Amino acid sequence: MTSDRRPGLALGAVLHHLVSVAVAATFLLPLVWVVAASLRQPGLPPARTIEWIPDPVSIGNYAEMFRLLPFERYLLNSLIVVAIAVPLTLVTASMAGFAIAQLEAPLRRRLLVFAVALLMVPISALWLTRYLLFRQVGLVDDLGALIAPALMGSSPLFVLLFYWAFRRVPVEVYETARIEGAGALTVWQRVAMPLAIPTIVAVSILAFLLYWSDFISPTLYLKSPESYTLPVGVRQLQQLDRTNWPLLMAASVLLAAPTVLVFAVIQRQFLRRDGVLD
Amino acid sequence: MLLPFLVGTLLLVGLPAVMSAGLAFTSYDALSPPVYVGFANFRTLAADPLTGIALGNTLFFVLLAVPLRVLGALALALLLSQRRRGVGAYRAAVYLPTVIPDVAFALIWLWVFNPLYGPVNLVLQGLGLPMPGWLADAETAKYPFVVMSLFQIGEGFLVLLVGLRGIPHQTYEAATVDGGSRIQQFRWITLPLLAPWLLLLTFRDVVVAVQYTFTPSVLMTGGDPYYSTLFLPLLIFEEAFDRFRFGLGSALMLSLFLLTAVAFVVVYSVFRWRGYADDI
Repeated sequence: MTSDRRPGLALGAVLHHLVSVAVAATFLLPLVWVVAASLRQPGLPPARTIEWIPDPVSIGNYAEMFRLLPFERYLLNSLIVVAIAVPLTLVTASMAGFAIAQLEAPLRRRLLVFAVALLMVPISALWLTRYLLFRQVGLVDDLGALIAPALMGSSPLFVLLFYWAFRRVPVEVYETARIEGAGALTVWQRVAMPLAIPTIVAVSILAFLLYWSDFISPTLYLKSPESYTLPVGVRQLQQLDRTNWPLLMAASVLLAAPTVLVFAVIQRQFLRRDGVLD
Repeated sequence: MLLPFLVGTLLLVGLPAVMSAGLAFTSYDALSPPVYVGFANFRTLAADPLTGIALGNTLFFVLLAVPLRVLGALALALLLSQRRRGVGAYRAAVYLPTVIPDVAFALIWLWVFNPLYGPVNLVLQGLGLPMPGWLADAETAKYPFVVMSLFQIGEGFLVLLVGLRGIPHQTYEAATVDGGSRIQQFRWITLPLLAPWLLLLTFRDVVVAVQYTFTPSVLMTGGDPYYSTLFLPLLIFEEAFDRFRFGLGSALMLSLFLLTAVAFVVVYSVFRWRGYADDI
């Protein structure tokens, strides 16, 4: 940023790019292999050398999985969970973040420490008793069990992200709205939220990834195949035939494609200029 | 406005945690009411060789994966922190594997490390090197878990990028004027100012790493071969949800809780000893 405009550092810059390209290639390599493997014609014996582009290229595996299991049903269930959980997360997490940002120092600090401590709780230590609670209120085998964490903002991290976003706004902005007679809810909705668009985008993406990928909750709390979500469906496919690699790779690509697409659209805001980092 | 968050946390974290602690001292199968048994569950666990194996496997994974994950995230953040041409694309490539859903990611690596047809062994074969059995061999089965976890370090990478951005560059300019070398700058400016971030990240990563093993161990090995990939979350899952031994499962969960707490104290003391803890 500062010193690399000096002459004589051109070699350093080239070297830096070479290392960066090697790193980027390493991180992308497994994903490239998987897409290639998923396009192999069904029924062919496995390749004995690395295959970058299968011959012939076939999308048969993608159709085959819908024939074997009701993937359209799983897809629908996953979409229902995401469609409810993500907006709910935005409301609860931003409200909590806003409330914490408005509090006076000692209580505010205690709540922040509480939120950070919550990040450290090992969730596997809660599986069983959450199951017992869900059974009590009839949420076992119900998509509600997967959506429930949205009530607490899904993750304390989201609450903290909103807290930081709302703290960056000068206090006077909220004060002015207050003096004009707006209640806390109105200030949150009309003043705070419109100023936190980048955070809203970031939390939406992270919450989407969380709920779309969730394998553990449906494994623990769902029983009947009608309520399965996509990750459980892919696991079922593996249990049908552990060795049909092209089929399993196609299912993995199907499961991962929306997350990669969403990330591709949003990464500019997320990792480059004007995003979280600037 | 805090109400949903606080009530939700109470219902989904507080209450289950207290129930866990209570059930740990009972014998309970969900059919008949829980019976108080004192410390019997803990004695059963201590006598069961599987507990020790799962504990050892989990420690092995955490001790190997967490330092590598934190150092990897640090190295990549340092490499890609400056605004240069193409840096956005490199950052995106590093972050991309982190967004892949667990189930897909586990299947991907199950294929990549397949002893016969997987790309890793095909590359090794092409180079004339020995081809390990990886997940099929108790000696090597844990290493693919570590390797795949090193590809999902986007969260730490992002946190450290934010941390590095918080260091004013005048600090570096002053150091350059004073004749400080790159390495000196890293040792005396970057590292101390980044220490609170690194501490927080290490804490969080211990928890993340323990939890991380669950989905891969279900999909890739089921704990085999010879229990070499039986990690604590998988053992908890099997005790509670396969064998319906809820009391025993709760005792395991309580132990996991305490273990995490111990890990925190250890990590914190190490940082404190280095004199960094005051920055938190």
